[in-house]
Amino acid sequence: MLFHTWPFFVFLLIVLPGFYALRKTQLWLPWLTAASYFFYGWWNPYYLLLVVYSTLLDFCLVALMDHCPRTGQNTDVLSRLTGLRFDNRVLKVAFLISAGTTLSCLAMAFFGPQTLRPTMVVFSLILLLMTLGALYSSRKIWLLISLVNNLALLLFFKYARFVVENLNAAFASLHVSARLSDPSTLMPFGFEYLLPVGISFFTFQSLSYTIDFYLGNVQRERNFVRFATFVCFFPQLMAGPIERAKHLLPQFHQFPTVCLRNFTDGASLFLVGLFKKLALANYLSFYVERVYDNPKAFDAPALMMATFAFAWQIFFDFSGYTDMARGVAKLMGFNLIVNFNNPYLATGLGDFWSRWHIGLSSWFRDYVYIPLGGNRDGVFKTYRNLFLTFFVSGIWHGANWTFVIWGTLHAVGIMITRELERSVFYREQVPRLVKQMGVFLFVCFAWIFFRANSLHDALLIVNRLATSPWRDPQIPALMLILVALVWLYQFGYESRFRKCLQTDFVRVGTAVFMVLYLCLCASGGGAFIYFQF
Amino acid sequence: MKLSDSPEIPFVNEVRLSLRQWVVVFGILAFVVTLTPALWKKLERFETGLDYRIPYVLSKDYWLYERRLQRLEPTNIVMLGDSVIWGEYVLTNGTWSHFLNQEAGVANLFVNGGVNGLFPLALEGLIRCYGRPLSRQKVILHCNVLWLTSPKADLSTDKEEPFNHAALVPQFSPRIPCYRADASERLNVIVERNVAFFAWVSHLQSTYFEQQSIPKWTLAEAGGDPPLYPNGSRNPISQITLVVPPEPQEDSQRGPQSSRHKPWSTNATGTTRFEWVDLDRSLQWHAFQRLMATLRGRGNDVLVVLGPFNEHIMAAPNRPAYRKVRADIMRWLSENQIPHVAPELLPSVLYADASHPLTEGYQRLATQLLTDATFRNWMRSK
Repeated sequence: MLFHTWPFFVFLLIVLPGFYALRKTQLWLPWLTAASYFFYGWWNPYYLLLVVYSTLLDFCLVALMDHCPRTGQNTDVLSRLTGLRFDNRVLKVAFLISAGTTLSCLAMAFFGPQTLRPTMVVFSLILLLMTLGALYSSRKIWLLISLVNNLALLLFFKYARFVVENLNAAFASLHVSARLSDPSTLMPFGFEYLLPVGISFFTFQSLSYTIDFYLGNVQRERNFVRFATFVCFFPQLMAGPIERAKHLLPQFHQFPTVCLRNFTDGASLFLVGLFKKLALANYLSFYVERVYDNPKAFDAPALMMATFAFAWQIFFDFSGYTDMARGVAKLMGFNLIVNFNNPYLATGLGDFWSRWHIGLSSWFRDYVYIPLGGNRDGVFKTYRNLFLTFFVSGIWHGANWTFVIWGTLHAVGIMITRELERSVFYREQVPRLVKQMGVFLFVCFAWIFFRANSLHDALLIVNRLATSPWRDPQIPALMLILVALVWLYQFGYESRFRKCLQTDFVRVGTAVFMVLYLCLCASGGGAFIYFQF
Repeated sequence: MKLSDSPEIPFVNEVRLSLRQWVVVFGILAFVVTLTPALWKKLERFETGLDYRIPYVLSKDYWLYERRLQRLEPTNIVMLGDSVIWGEYVLTNGTWSHFLNQEAGVANLFVNGGVNGLFPLALEGLIRCYGRPLSRQKVILHCNVLWLTSPKADLSTDKEEPFNHAALVPQFSPRIPCYRADASERLNVIVERNVAFFAWVSHLQSTYFEQQSIPKWTLAEAGGDPPLYPNGSRNPISQITLVVPPEPQEDSQRGPQSSRHKPWSTNATGTTRFEWVDLDRSLQWHAFQRLMATLRGRGNDVLVVLGPFNEHIMAAPNRPAYRKVRADIMRWLSENQIPHVAPELLPSVLYADASHPLTEGYQRLATQLLTDATFRNWMRSK
């Protein structure tokens, strides 16, 4: 159910009145949860098992973590094991249940149906860790389980095939006869091995809650329904923005303030998102596909224009989605974070990442870069941490070497711009527009690796950009005009001319233009690019 | 409900409209959406001269079809049906309606209301959604048993099958098992049927942009190696000439001079064995019955012309089943007091395939109809 389709419109027509009708009861929250699960189940009902499992486990892990002492203390493991002498009854029950189910799962792993054995091995491992967590009353172990569980889900569904293929290729090149079997053979009951939509988003969101609780940044959420709504809140479930418990969970504690501004702001955000997706992203995608699906057939200008077109396509597609997500949430009175802030006006790569996919970049900053040491231990370690963070960010986007190179390029780029920004000349003498263009060109160069169908294609494009002749790229003038208008609007927005954009005439005119353009020229459906991540 | 006090939500553009601004936007949009299709009819030249039929390339322009029906005189007799009425193998001066006019000696008494590629399930949708201007007219409805010759033709197979005019068939009920559009496409169709503005947008795309959206048109490939994309540099607005293109004067696919205009037997395909669908279970037949009810409900005086289907193409053991289907249809028509005519089988050489006559075939059918007592009585009735 995509935001820009009629089924979503019908869904919203049912959910929204129901939500407001229940505002004076306690049922508005379960209604929201049910709507979110329905929304997610619409794609594939089997995915629901995954999201419910992930939510339930993290909810329980944090509850158990809450029963463990914050400061380390000596635990008499032997007396706990032999006499079941636990200071805390909850942990005792957790120990007994985990130990019992670990044994059952192990039995199933050895003697159960063939199709269930791999799954049971994984469950045994998780349950064993839970047994240890209860035995040692260790917050660290509960956190570790959450990390292992969420990352294992992500690794299995997103990266297992990539890893297996690369290992098999390595074995073959080393003349080793061993071959790993395809991960699809590990699926229980012959379920299809498909990447669940939005898995990277909801696992990261759920994970942030357990990490934040461990660090003492958020309170434990005692209401499961509220926590489930936080993990699977339908506007941002599929492609973010990745929210933090600190920001979103409190909004579910009471029914939001009902006011007219929610509707006008929500509709404004939704309209802009719809226009970005249907009128701009989908249109640009036709040109990008034409060129990137057969790069050999195109010369440097077409490859260059297609790369620029992709830069705008992915921006319109992803920021369009988040605008719509924010709009839908706002219609119900909830505020989601800004995920994109005119990133192609950035004057440095650091600035770019503070404007692009803000939910994800701040996640990596808080949970990867800073725990690695951030910029606290000198230049070398700072750059090492930056490199690792962007490397992981590249991998997060997908299981392909092209994403790894894309992440690495950004890591290198951010180091270069950091160094440049240290010089007075660059800071004060280089015009802002030149910096903006430099960043845009670098980002576009990196997008080649992000968009190319393979590493071979990406290298071919880079090669042809430098060597092939210059011929008419045959890019539609209408496409250029539309992108130029948007860019100009963005420049205007961040300049002293912003006041002109605030006039009634411009606001109403822009909205009317967008609606009429959508009616006359919408470029058809198509899923969002970031759903695959 | 409070007017303000909303928690602030950050915007990264200035498209943040207040209630008053939204009201103005809706006002402007309502004005444009309501008036544009009506105004367009005055601005755009649409010639419907002698023997006019909706051009082949505009078969899916249902807004134009409705506009064509709006030009009917109360005395016109409209012939409704699929490509047999439209004239798949013949030019405009070789159609059934042309010869009826010629034999009757009255110009444009009979109007060609056929559309290429239709079938009863789609015809029902066309008339229900776009056929309101047809109310109270005299109508000749053609019943082509071709759509009962197999479960595939009846669209009742479970295997997914692509077919023409999917935007006209029932989207949810009755269910068409071989139609597998997702919920979004189906709802899209329903919206387009019910909002004239969207049907008008579809008309623009059909008439001026080669049945594509404007963005897709700007990217259309014109062949060549390396491929050319000439529309990219063209101004889309200049495409809108405000003239509905007529049927081309020269048509290599139709008329006595075309290579397709020849008897079916010259294709050396031999006779065929059809898997006739039981009328009780036929989706197409049920659609035909619903269409009859719609037309009668709108005060149309309907005469049904059954066939004549090309029996020569049928394997001999297959003919009894065909005759039973035909008899059952006739019985239903009689039971419901619907005047009907079943013209005699034409000579084999006057059929181009299982159901389409060649030019001379249409001429003979026109003569047959005009001499038929039932037809003459129906013509005389008010």
